[in-house]
Amino acid sequence: MAMKTLAPEQKQALAKLRASLGGISEQKRQAQKHLVAARKAILKFLEAKPATVPQIAEALQLPSSEALWHVTGMRKYGKVAEAGEEGDYPLYALVVQQEAAEASH
Amino acid sequence: MNTHITSDFTPDALIIGGGIAGLQSALDLADQDLQVLLVERQASIGGHMIALSKVYPTLDCASCITTPKMSAAAHHPNITILTNTEVEGIDTRDGVHRVRLLQKPTYVNFDKCIGCRLCEYACDTEYPDPFEEGLGAVRAIAVPFTNAIPQKAVLNAEVCGTCGACARVCPTGAIEYDQQPRHLTIHTDAVIVASGFNLNAITVKPQYNAQHSQNIISPLTLERLLAPHGPYGRVLRPSDGKMPGSIAFVQCAGSRDESIGVSYCSRVCCMYAIKQAMLLSGALPLADITIYYMDIRAFGKGYEQFFQNAKAMGINFVRGKVARIHPVEDGDLSLHVETTEDAGNPMQERRHDLVVLAQGMIPGWQPSDVTPVACASDGFVATPALTAPAATTVPGIFVAGTAAGPKDIVDTIAEAGAAAMQASQYLYQKRSAVLVG
Repeated sequence: MAMKTLAPEQKQALAKLRASLGGISEQKRQAQKHLVAARKAILKFLEAKPATVPQIAEALQLPSSEALWHVTGMRKYGKVAEAGEEGDYPLYALVVQQEAAEASH
Repeated sequence: MNTHITSDFTPDALIIGGGIAGLQSALDLADQDLQVLLVERQASIGGHMIALSKVYPTLDCASCITTPKMSAAAHHPNITILTNTEVEGIDTRDGVHRVRLLQKPTYVNFDKCIGCRLCEYACDTEYPDPFEEGLGAVRAIAVPFTNAIPQKAVLNAEVCGTCGACARVCPTGAIEYDQQPRHLTIHTDAVIVASGFNLNAITVKPQYNAQHSQNIISPLTLERLLAPHGPYGRVLRPSDGKMPGSIAFVQCAGSRDESIGVSYCSRVCCMYAIKQAMLLSGALPLADITIYYMDIRAFGKGYEQFFQNAKAMGINFVRGKVARIHPVEDGDLSLHVETTEDAGNPMQERRHDLVVLAQGMIPGWQPSDVTPVACASDGFVATPALTAPAATTVPGIFVAGTAAGPKDIVDTIAEAGAAAMQASQYLYQKRSAVLVG
C-alpha cells in the first residue's frame, strides 16, 4: 500500500493531537523502542529454526511472559505461525519458513 | 447502521448498555415500532457475551448467538446506536428523562471508514489487547475485534505515537486527528439500564497471591483462551506458553465472603466453571482438571444433568475450601486445601500449572451516582416491586440483566424481554393518558 503524504491540515491536526497528549513522553518513546527491538530480535532468532517461547526468552534475555506476548502479536499480524510442538510447548516459526515447509510436503 | 443524531432526536426509549440484555431489550422495543437509542461505552456492541467461548448447558458457540443479535440491532430501522458513549447523568422532570451523553472521539470518521484495516496494518504501536484480557496485542488504531459492530477502526490516543502512518494509508481519508468529545442531551420517555457487570479484582483476596503469578487467571481470561480465535489459538499458560497439564478452579474466590464486601453468591460461577472444565478436557485431553467447591449450585433447567455429565467425563470435584495459594518453581502453584472428603487428611497441599479464580460479580456501573435510580445494599439496581421485576425506584426507568444482580445469560435474556415489555406498556399508558387528558 503506497503511503500518501499528509495534507497540511492533517499535519496541523496531528500536531494538535500530539500537543493535547502532552507530547510523546520519554516512557512512551522507550516502550516503542523496546517493542521494535524485541520484535526484530525474535524474528532474527527464528530465522535459524523454529523455537518455543522459553527458548526465545532465554536466548534474548526476555521474561518468558513478554516473549509470549510478542509472539502472540506477531502471530496475529502474520509474521510468525505455529510449527508443531516440543515437549509441553508449541514451536513458532517465521511465516515464510512455515509456508515453505507446508509447500514441500 | 444509524449513528447520526443530534440533541433534537427524541427516541421513545434509551437503553444504556449494548450487551446481550441491552440488545434484546432494544430489539423487542424496536419490533413494536418504537424508536430506540442504544448507548454503549465500548467501541463495539456485544458486551461480555461476545467474548465468551461457549454457553452452558448447550455448549453452543456464544458468538453464534450474539453476533446475529448485534447485526439485527445494527440494521434495524428503529434502532440508533452510539458507541464510545457514556451517560453523564439523567435528570427526570415531569415524566421526561433528560439523558446527558458524552461521545468520545474515535479519530475516525465512521461515514468514511470502510473497515479495510489498512490503518491497523500500517501502525507499528501495539499494546495489550483489552478484548483478549491483555493476553494478545492490538495496534494503536484497530477494528476492536473480528466480529465487532461497528466494523470501524478506532484510534487509542493514549498509546498512539502520532506518526501519521494511518492517515497516509487510509484510502478514504477517514482519519480525523482533530475530533473532539461531543456532548448530547437526549429527551426520552423511557430508559432501560442494561449496564451489565464487572468482576471484582483478582487480587481481592491477598492469600491467593494473584499479584505474584500470571498463572492465576480470571474466568474471563480462560474464556478467551478457550475461544476459537483466542489470543494464542489454543490454551497456554500466560507466564511461559506451556500447555497446562493440571488446572484448578477455585470457587467462591470473590463472593460469599463478607470480609471482601461481597456477601452474596455470584450465581453463575459453578456452571461456567463446569462448562470451562468440560471445554478444557476437550482442548487438553490429557490434562488433570479439578474444581474446588463449597457447594455446587446447579439450579437451572438441565444444569444438574450438565454437572453429572462433567463428573462422568472425569472432571475432579473436591469439596472444600482453598485457604492459600503460593507460586512455586517453574511457574506452578501450590494450593493449601481444607477438604471435607478425606477425614483422615483434611489439610492437603496440591500442585497445579494453572489456577482459575471464580471472582465475584459486581455492578458494571453505579447509576445512583448520576441518576435518581436507587441501588440495593449489594450495589446493584434496586427492583422494589415483586410483580414488576424490571421496574426501578423511578417511574419510566427500567433495568435488565446483570445491572440488577448476578444472573446467567438465559435469565438475562428473559429479563431483558420483560424490561422491554414493561417499558412499552409504560409508554402506551403514558401516551394514552395524554390523549385522553
